[in-house]
This record gives sequence, structure tokens and C-alpha cells, in this order.
Amino acid sequence: MHAKPAPTAVVADDERLMREQLVGRLKEAWPELMIVGEAGNGREAVAMVQSLEPDIVFLDINMPEMDGIKAARALAGQAHVVFVTAYDQYAISAFDHGAIDYLLKPVESERVALTCRRLRERLTQEPDPMNDLLEQLSQRLGSGGVKPREYMRWVQASVGANIRMIPTSDILFFRAEDKYTRVQTESFEALIRTPIKELIDALDPNEFWQIHRSTVVRVDAVAQVSRNFRGNQMVHVKGCEEKLEVSRSFNHLFKQM
Amino acid sequence: MNTDQPGPGAGNAAEREKGTPALQASDTRQTLRDIGSALVVLWWRFFDWLALVSWKTLLIVSLLGLIPASIVKSHQPFLLLVFASVIIKVVAGGKRRAELTASQATKRAETEQLERTVLEARMEALQAQIEPHFLFNTLASIDQLIQTDPPRASRMQQSLIRYLRSAMPQMRDGGRPSLGQQVNLSSAFLEIMAVRMEERLEPVVNVPEGLKSAVFPSMMLQTLVENAIKHGLEPKSAGGRLEINAEIVDGQLAVHVRDNGMGFMPKTDDGVGLANIRERLKALYNGRAELIISVPPEGGTCATIKVPYEIAPPGA
Repeated sequence: MHAKPAPTAVVADDERLMREQLVGRLKEAWPELMIVGEAGNGREAVAMVQSLEPDIVFLDINMPEMDGIKAARALAGQAHVVFVTAYDQYAISAFDHGAIDYLLKPVESERVALTCRRLRERLTQEPDPMNDLLEQLSQRLGSGGVKPREYMRWVQASVGANIRMIPTSDILFFRAEDKYTRVQTESFEALIRTPIKELIDALDPNEFWQIHRSTVVRVDAVAQVSRNFRGNQMVHVKGCEEKLEVSRSFNHLFKQM
Repeated sequence: MNTDQPGPGAGNAAEREKGTPALQASDTRQTLRDIGSALVVLWWRFFDWLALVSWKTLLIVSLLGLIPASIVKSHQPFLLLVFASVIIKVVAGGKRRAELTASQATKRAETEQLERTVLEARMEALQAQIEPHFLFNTLASIDQLIQTDPPRASRMQQSLIRYLRSAMPQMRDGGRPSLGQQVNLSSAFLEIMAVRMEERLEPVVNVPEGLKSAVFPSMMLQTLVENAIKHGLEPKSAGGRLEINAEIVDGQLAVHVRDNGMGFMPKTDDGVGLANIRERLKALYNGRAELIISVPPEGGTCATIKVPYEIAPPGA
């Protein structure tokens, strides 16, 4: 019936012990199955499947370089996929409803035997690319796919001799000064080269407001807004003496309720 | 706000009232005592009001009071009362006002302290959660080693037991955790990960004996170690080195977790882990501790926690 005499498989997992375990159990459950390759990450797995063209690929979900779900999407329809995972609640609930087979680590002999029986039946058909299901999965697991926009959460700045990662939640305000932008926190200040214009695009608009051509302030750090003798709004920031002027075009931000 | 603040005398009187049951006392005496204590309460209320009221209001109230007083032709005693009020306000008002604001401030501080303690407890519990992914993967590795290398399986299982034992009771233990405990916990974790990741993980623990008795909050070091593996080394095919160091800098205990892995991504939302540490440090040390993430010139990530240097009480 088959063109190929013996079915073949590739096993991918970043931990050698886990590959050994799966290979051992597969040998017991399905002695005719030939393991033609073992991969240590997703990228290797994809390359191996493309060059060796096995019937089946066992993919660990959590792997370096490229995770199992991404690898499966890259291999859509080229081999029958079985996922292997230790614990992924989203993935497991998705698998239970879908056509994708999966194994839980540590893999049990009976469970492997069941998977092998199913695989023997599936081998008579073309592999299903499972596009929709994988798309859904990768979104739920946060790997690739369409993601909500990511904003800058850390600012990289030199403080003394070191490069420090400052979480945006620690920053009181940014202020343009000559060629640099000053980053002010409660305990220190640092200079970065990124201009205010670029920062305002990268920062979360719910977290930071631009109040002046040269000033961006973290909303939660605003203590109060007063007016100076010329009638300009001045922003007072928690934990900092400096007052920040609001230019007319940004006055609407601090209108009275 | 002054109505629910009876003076010290009033409180005691009222309490004595409740304390002595009116068994033998006659009804009249009881009534007299009631009236007496009511007067005392009234006096302190008046006193508090006087202390807090603005001069303008006092003036208006006095003028308004003068109208009915002059109608019943008794403006002289009323004026005397006003005069007495002014003197009381001048002499004792400031002190009483300060007392009231102080007691409010204490109350607020106590609530804040309580809120902080509750918050810290909740966040510690969050941080102390053992990742199921880690647990199942480790059990799977032990399962495999039992067949291929039983002595190694046994050693790995012992490390797991050591890890679980120090990771779990921390939530119940009331004592202040020491750096030594925290380093042991993370060492056990690293031993396990080294078996699983093999040559991809090279752990180096370099903490001077003398610093192991220092107080160090629970599970923070472990969170940094887990982060370094999860974001730094596991995603890197070649893996790398993970180093734990501790030193005293300007009277502060600085604990560093350094890796030469993938490096820090400025866009990564640090999730619960680092934000949680930062919040807990704020709650525990109120600005005297910090978490610093820096990028060493040779790449990778270095996370440092600085806390005031204190010796943990023996037996903790």
C-alpha cells in the first residue's frame, strides 16, 4: 500500500534525556518506526524534516531558537505532527478539542502506544497542515502571530560606568536637553541619545503624556498641576522638586473635570 | 471630624461607666453620673471644635449667638463665654490641634503599614509559586535517569527534594530568611537544571560564607535565577554561564545574578517576576533597597538586588 517500506520520524527536544526517553518508548510501542534524526531546537527540527522528509515529527513545545508551534507552522503539511510538552494548560486544552495529537512528559508507555496506533491510521492520509488551529495556539501561547502592540517597558541608559535597564514604571519624566534626553527617576538621572520625538512613539500612551515639546511625563507620577505667575500650567511630580511647564497646545490634558 | 474624637477624659469616664455594673448604686446617683459623663463628653467635643474651628467661623458663630442672647437680655454672660473661648483657643487650641493631627497621622501610618504587610505577604506567596513546567520536566528527567543511570537519578531526586523543602515552607515560616537559605535553594535548582541542560548550563555560585547569615528576602534570588535561565540561557542554543555573587557595598548587601545569555530585550514586559520584586522591596524596606538590571560590557544580563545589611537572628 505504502510507497515507503518503514515509517520514519524525527524527534525534537532541547533536553537530551527527554529525547532519549521518547525514542525509547517509541521503540517499545512501534518497533518498525525508524527514528531518522534528533533535533535540539526548533530551527534544527525544521531543517531536518525538510532534508530527511520523515513521515512524522515529534515536537517539544518549549525549545530555543524556534518553539514547537512555530516549527509546526513552518512545516505545515510536510509531516504528521505530534506535540510533546510537560505542562501547558492552554496547549493541552486546545489539543483536546482539535485533531492534533500530543504526549505529556514523562511519556507513559500506554499513551505512546495509543498515539502510535492513531499515527498508523493517519499515515494513510496526507498530513493536515492544521493552519487555523496552529494560528490560534500560537496566539494563545504568545509566540508569533498577531500580537497587541508592544510598548517600550525599559530604557537603556548609562549611569556612571554601567549600562542600566531602567523600568519605565520608575521614570518620572523625560526632558530634552541639548543633544540629549534626560531620564529622571526618584533616585537618579541619566542621559540617553533617543530624542523625545522617538520616545513618544515607543512609549505606552496610557503610561506617558507629552506635555511640552521637550517634556514627557509619566501620568502616575503627576502629583498636582498649578499655575505660575504667567498663567502657565506647571506639573509637580512626586518625589522631585523640579516643576514642568505645560505648553498651551497640551493644556487640554489637565482640564478640570 | 472632631465629633468622633472624644477627649482622653471622656473615653475613660465612659469606660468606667460600662465597667461598673449598677448593682448597688441608686437610680439617682446613676442618673447624676450619666449627666456628668455626658457633660464631660460635651465639653471635650466643644474643646475639639474650638481647637479646630477657624477664627472667621468663631467670629460668625459668636455674632449669630449674640442675637438670641441679647433677645433674652443675657448678652453679658454670653460675651464672657466668647471671651473664654478665645482664650482657650489661643492657649490650648494649638496643642490640641497638633494632638489630633498626630493621632490621625498615626492611624494613617498604621493602616499603611498594615496594607504594606498584607501586600508583601500576598506578593511573596505569588513569588513562591513553584512552576509546574519545571516540576514536570524534572520528574520526567528523573524517570528517564532511573532507567539509564540510577545513581544520577537518585542525586537529582535529592536535589529536587532539597529544592522543594526550601521553596515550600518559606510561605509558612515566620522567621526572616537568610541569604544562606536562599542560596541553598537556588543551588539545588541549578543542580537540577545542570543535569537537564547538560553542557548548556554552567552554574557558578560564589557567595562568601560570612555573608550567608545576612537577612535576605525569600524567593527573590530564585526569581532572578529562573529569569536568567528562562530568558537568558534556555533560548540560546549554545547555553552559557550563570553566576551568583554576593558582596557588601557601602554597608549594603548586594546580590548579583549574571548570565552571558541572550541579553535583555527592552520591549519585554518583565511579567510578574521583576515587578513583583520591586514592589516587595518597596514594601519591605521603604526605599532603602533596590533592584538594578544592567547590561555588562561582555553581553548578557546582570540583575542586582541591594538591601540593607543585617544579620539574621540565629536559628532562623
